[in-house]
Amino acid sequence: MPLSLPRFNPVGQIPLLTLLALCLVTALLTDRFLSPLNLSNILVQSSIMAVIAIGMTFVIIGGGFDLSVGSTVALAGCVAAMAMVKFGIAVGVAAGIAAGLGIGLANGVIIAKLGVNPFITTLGTMVLVRGVVYLITGGAPVGDDNLPAGFIAFGSARFLGIHYLVWVPAVILLVLSWVMRATPYGRRIYATGGNREAAYLSGVPVDRIIASTYAWSGALAGIAGVMLAARLQSGQPTAGEFYELTAIAAVILGGASLQGGEGTLYKSIIGVFIMIVLGNSLNLLNVDSYWQRVAIGAVIIAAAAADRLRSRR
Amino acid sequence: MTMPALSARGIFKQFGATRALDNLDFDVQAGELHALVGENGAGKSTLVRILGGVHRPDRGELAIDGEPRRFNGPRDAIAAGIVTIPQELHLVPMLSIAENLTLEDVPLRHMLGVPLIDRARMREEAREQLAQLDFAPDLDLRIDRLSFAERQLVAIAKALRRRCRVLILDEPTAALETREIERLFAVLARMKSQGKAIIYVSHRLDEVVALGDRCTVLRDGRSVATSGRGAFKVTDLVEAMTGRSMVQADARATVPGAVALEETADRPDAIRLRANEIVGLAGLLGSGASAVLRRLFGIGGETIELRRNGAARRIARPPDAVRNGIGFVPGERRLGLVMNLSVRDNILLPSLDMFARGGTIDRAKVDRLVKQMMELLDIRPRQPDQRVSALSGGNQQKVILAKWLMREVGVLLLDEPTQGIDIAAKQQIHTLILDFARRGGGVLIRSSELAELTLICDGILALRQGRITDRLARSDGFDDERLQAAIGG
Repeated sequence: MPLSLPRFNPVGQIPLLTLLALCLVTALLTDRFLSPLNLSNILVQSSIMAVIAIGMTFVIIGGGFDLSVGSTVALAGCVAAMAMVKFGIAVGVAAGIAAGLGIGLANGVIIAKLGVNPFITTLGTMVLVRGVVYLITGGAPVGDDNLPAGFIAFGSARFLGIHYLVWVPAVILLVLSWVMRATPYGRRIYATGGNREAAYLSGVPVDRIIASTYAWSGALAGIAGVMLAARLQSGQPTAGEFYELTAIAAVILGGASLQGGEGTLYKSIIGVFIMIVLGNSLNLLNVDSYWQRVAIGAVIIAAAAADRLRSRR
Repeated sequence: MTMPALSARGIFKQFGATRALDNLDFDVQAGELHALVGENGAGKSTLVRILGGVHRPDRGELAIDGEPRRFNGPRDAIAAGIVTIPQELHLVPMLSIAENLTLEDVPLRHMLGVPLIDRARMREEAREQLAQLDFAPDLDLRIDRLSFAERQLVAIAKALRRRCRVLILDEPTAALETREIERLFAVLARMKSQGKAIIYVSHRLDEVVALGDRCTVLRDGRSVATSGRGAFKVTDLVEAMTGRSMVQADARATVPGAVALEETADRPDAIRLRANEIVGLAGLLGSGASAVLRRLFGIGGETIELRRNGAARRIARPPDAVRNGIGFVPGERRLGLVMNLSVRDNILLPSLDMFARGGTIDRAKVDRLVKQMMELLDIRPRQPDQRVSALSGGNQQKVILAKWLMREVGVLLLDEPTQGIDIAAKQQIHTLILDFARRGGGVLIRSSELAELTLICDGILALRQGRITDRLARSDGFDDERLQAAIGG
């Protein structure tokens, strides 16, 4: 059986090369960049965004996108913290993830079955869910001081020298990359995003496939919310603002197409690293935080423009 | 001797490693219809794009009335009176007929020095242009409310309004019905008599023989034959295009087997199909022929009941049809393929669940079968990882068939399976359909080309307004006139 290797495609490696160049330049400009503390900081910061971006990649490959993940992160964190204080770690974690999954399923059903535009639907749930978070928390952080010690340890302790928070996306990435590549379900997501009608006429249950991508996005945002609560040692109603935009930008930077049908999970993670390293680098170089926003906005536009240029060829 | 209205001399054009045009000469006279034929990839589109100013030739010269010209873009060509009418007409769907016709040069009136659109004159001018084509629609209708044939007339009228001298038509009849084709031909004849030069690109060789004052055959970027009216027949053209003589699909001689599919509801267009049988659906657009195929595949918007190999089944959605061994090849290629995926992924799409072992796709087995399938259907190039968008139309169509052969369906529903592909690929597809039926499959095929149906079908159902108006069998000999009468053509 001849092994069929994909031909080397330099365009496909642009995200990785961008990341390496960014690291190189920062390392040359400041020696603090390569310090173990800073590197481990970058990993921890990336870990939560990475989990969200993996879910976002499912949705974007399936031809949609999801603005509600930032609010979902806050909801999951607060629900997890509230449940944990009363019923313990396991119930708290499960409740947080379930809340995320619920939001995702609702998005999925509204978009796939009712045919409402993904932008409008998830814009709506983004605002709605944030409102719910403020309602259930009264606008104040949840669980301060009362969270179980084990949960707080999860947010800061390490396993084999690496933070637990970093192991989470690593394992998720490994499993879901396999799902995308090797299972019929994964191939169907690509086909549905690439040409929904052709996939439908090939017998693919496109509605269910699309709904499932939003379910992944919601559930993974739920996991990210629980991780963030562990790191912040509380459920914060204001958490996760603008996470949706960072996640979408990261996925596009990683080479996925907003037209759908294209993208890979591991490259989206590279996109996350580009976003986080860029922020870190601007911090280390003492760039004004207002200017940081300007820079990150410009990167998002550049990524979207690159997406258009790619699809025009 | 008069100068040609438009001529191209010694044209070379290279795209990457492919030589698209190789020292090509081509010209068209005023008042002449010059047909251009050739297989996919022969260079027709490249030539059309060069004449229309989209591409610039690497070498060679264009001339109008003998005067050398250079086009730096489509605008230059249009300014010189050369208008191309592509298959996908460039009209704005949301605007009215009158607005589309006058889009580039809107009639204005001035009120206190402010230019305003002169709606009355706009309508008047549009009406005049369309009257020249014997077409008098409601000018305020939006373009997206018109049929394709009507939109095409609007596009031609728009070209006339720009005082075009050379009209280039790319596959103008691909989406037209018999009656609409006749109207188009009448329009073309009138334009010729007004001294317009017409370049006519088509896959339909019988049209070319009937219409062409001259015909040029392209092969591998070269002109292999140019001949005047009466000097060419369909068989000559095929030979010149392919470089080999025409092989007819072998006549049908199999005996139909058991009933493979039978609709149980009592309806005027109920279908019964046997194993080994190829049944043709003949009918004009809107006759319901296409609707029959869509209904049987579960996309007709209703749930139907049928017997499949004797067992009662319900079909509401495509997955139901696929599960029951029914495959569908839609009339438009973009509905059959996911263009940004590989040939392998497209071929596998309907049968992914069949190759899942413990949740994972059995990659080794799949690669072997895909390779066999590409061999069997002669899909070129033989690269399963190639994006399907990079394939020629004929090869794309074969990939769509391969999808269902991979799934090993027992019934194939084919909607215009050979539309817009070249003769050689068309014959290969006919052979595949015949093979499929010989090995026990049942085929239901719709085609607007009656000659295609009489070539490969065992029986033909004529449809009109959603009812079967006649049933013809090969054993009785297919009578063209009877068939035409039954479909109302």
